[in-house]
Amino acid sequence: MHKLMLLTQREIIERFNQKGFWYMLFFGPLVVLLLLVVLLKAADQGKQEIKVLIADPGQIMAHRLMAQEEKNLHYFFIDDYLELTEFQIGKAYQEFDVLLELNEKVLNNKKCFVFYREQLGLDARMQLKFQVERRLEELIAAQHSKLTQQEFSQIKQGIIFDFRDLRDPKNESKEANAWVGFVLGTFVLFFVGLYGMTIFRATIREKSNRIVEVLLASVRPGQLMLSKIIGIGLVALVQIIGWALLLGIGFTVLQQTIFLDIFDPSNWGGGGPQRLNPLSALVFEQLNFPFLLIHFILFFLASFLFFGALFSVLGARSNADADGQQFLFPLLILVAFGVFSGVYGVYYPETTLTEVLSYLPFSAPVLAFISLVKGVGIAGYTTILLSLLILIVSAFILLSLASNWYRKTILRF
Amino acid sequence: MIQITEVSKSYQRKIVLDAVSMHVDHGQIFGLLGPNGAGKTTLIRILNQMLEADFGQILFDGQSMNNAHLQYIGYLPEERGLYKTMTVWSHLLFLAQLRGMSKASASANVHEWLAHFQIQDWAQKRIATLSKGMAQKVQFIAALVHRPKLLILDEPLSGFDPLNVELILNEIKSLKAQGTTIILSTHNMKSVDEVCDQAALLHKGQILVQDSIQNFKTKHSKGYISVRFKGNMLSFANALWTDFTLLHQSEVEDGVFECTLQMRGQSNINVLMASLLDKVEVQHLSEVLPSMQEVFIDLINQKEPQDA
Repeated sequence: MHKLMLLTQREIIERFNQKGFWYMLFFGPLVVLLLLVVLLKAADQGKQEIKVLIADPGQIMAHRLMAQEEKNLHYFFIDDYLELTEFQIGKAYQEFDVLLELNEKVLNNKKCFVFYREQLGLDARMQLKFQVERRLEELIAAQHSKLTQQEFSQIKQGIIFDFRDLRDPKNESKEANAWVGFVLGTFVLFFVGLYGMTIFRATIREKSNRIVEVLLASVRPGQLMLSKIIGIGLVALVQIIGWALLLGIGFTVLQQTIFLDIFDPSNWGGGGPQRLNPLSALVFEQLNFPFLLIHFILFFLASFLFFGALFSVLGARSNADADGQQFLFPLLILVAFGVFSGVYGVYYPETTLTEVLSYLPFSAPVLAFISLVKGVGIAGYTTILLSLLILIVSAFILLSLASNWYRKTILRF
Repeated sequence: MIQITEVSKSYQRKIVLDAVSMHVDHGQIFGLLGPNGAGKTTLIRILNQMLEADFGQILFDGQSMNNAHLQYIGYLPEERGLYKTMTVWSHLLFLAQLRGMSKASASANVHEWLAHFQIQDWAQKRIATLSKGMAQKVQFIAALVHRPKLLILDEPLSGFDPLNVELILNEIKSLKAQGTTIILSTHNMKSVDEVCDQAALLHKGQILVQDSIQNFKTKHSKGYISVRFKGNMLSFANALWTDFTLLHQSEVEDGVFECTLQMRGQSNINVLMASLLDKVEVQHLSEVLPSMQEVFIDLINQKEPQDA
């Protein structure tokens, strides 16, 4: 154990002494934030003119919205219930892009449904929420208190807007959330692939400069392999936590600067906020960060042990980087397989194949994150835990086999 | 100290070591000799527990050898490397600790060895900045930093300049004087002649012979005798009669000759002395033993006459 610690410590110090680690730690989150801003801005460049039909059988809103109505959203009212099928196929309603359903009890149950024909940009969603919610708050404040609408906003309970695809009104696919899960799962594989390559290269380097012969006179091959996986894995973990912290800080900074929170009354000076806050909705309302971070770390560690063992064996088998590339290809195909399984899982979440893929060590992280972000019940969460358990058990079996392969190949020059 | 009995090792179907048996006594410098591909490195790796023998037994101080004995062994492989990003100090400390030393003891030993080789000012240098010769010295220190009982050196002199070869050979002798047992695998037969007490010749996975260096030479002596005398060359030649062949002669001073003879049949030095004493004034007479280089070639050629 003492020797394993010494080897692991050396690995960690070596990685921390590399400039690349620090560049990746600080510039990686910056790049992610930059890409996110670009994506969100691009998402807001969707349809410019959107017609919203508000079905308001109780005439709660009295055909009126807040004064600062956004110019690209046009509201129309109907004082009756409207069947979704009718809205979907009725000729009279084809000009409308969105149906907002307000039942008579909306002021009490604080929930309304929004059905759209085409995905709405985040900006449009937030504008819609902002205007309707402000109007409802105005009504609640007027009916039940002597507070101004702005005072009431500070103590209010938010109204839930449930956005649903008109073709999937029961919201069974939750495709948008699934894609977010896919991205997170892909990030797990990205880190595994990135640091797996570090194991591969470090093993080849030790072999080609022959230090391995000196080391193996003191430690067992299995210890040497494990120290590399643990050491580099811990360095990766530091980087992941660093990324999470820096991204958290980055999101907060963005929220306070570029994407002001329109639901925060303190931002209402001068006739309402200048910008809407899609980022806040995506990051702080839809994603449970601590929950996802814990699962990210668990899946990363298990996947890293699994793939790390394979990268080690390939490194031990290769004599030079160039020689190793050909062995690396099948392994990278496995990583890519995990990513593509995620795409399949997003489109076909309920198939048997998706269920099988969710238990395979290569694809488990991506499919688990798709489920986690979409939201799962106890049964679904049990499936995720089971897939994690299978991944951990597979990793340990593979480590034991890899240790044997490593021992047989590391001294073949 | 080391007793190797019937050790065999194969890689797939190729037999690399075939029932190898040999022993290394305490405090000896033991030459492990053999041509390339003889199996020396495999045997050394088995001794270092890096490989497992398929069959056979190795005893270390009478105990079946295991990983626990590694702390008593120092190893300098033929192809050795260092971590280029580490400093000399941290590298030596790291390797000493891997050999089971505490950090404090390892620090003390590293300090002592750097001082011994008068290279204390290298301590904080990165390995990448060292010259090849400097790096080799560090590698040599790395092998003995933990003061092993058994030091295994695989081609320790390769790549060293003549000054450093002398330094390393002196260090090997000094370690022997302090009681360290040394296994020296080398193709440098001059160094075997100079420092080894015993040697074993490994060829195609088998030990051809194990003996003391003196016995190696005596047993492979070709009966050459070197004579220095003052007198008449003709009288000298006549005295040799048919028992000796004159191979070489030269006049080194006026009337003083040096000759090389080869004994024939049952002749010996006493017979020669008796023949010469009343003919010339013998100033020096000795048997010329073969070098280990000659013994080595002789033995391999005996085994494979077709290559001769």
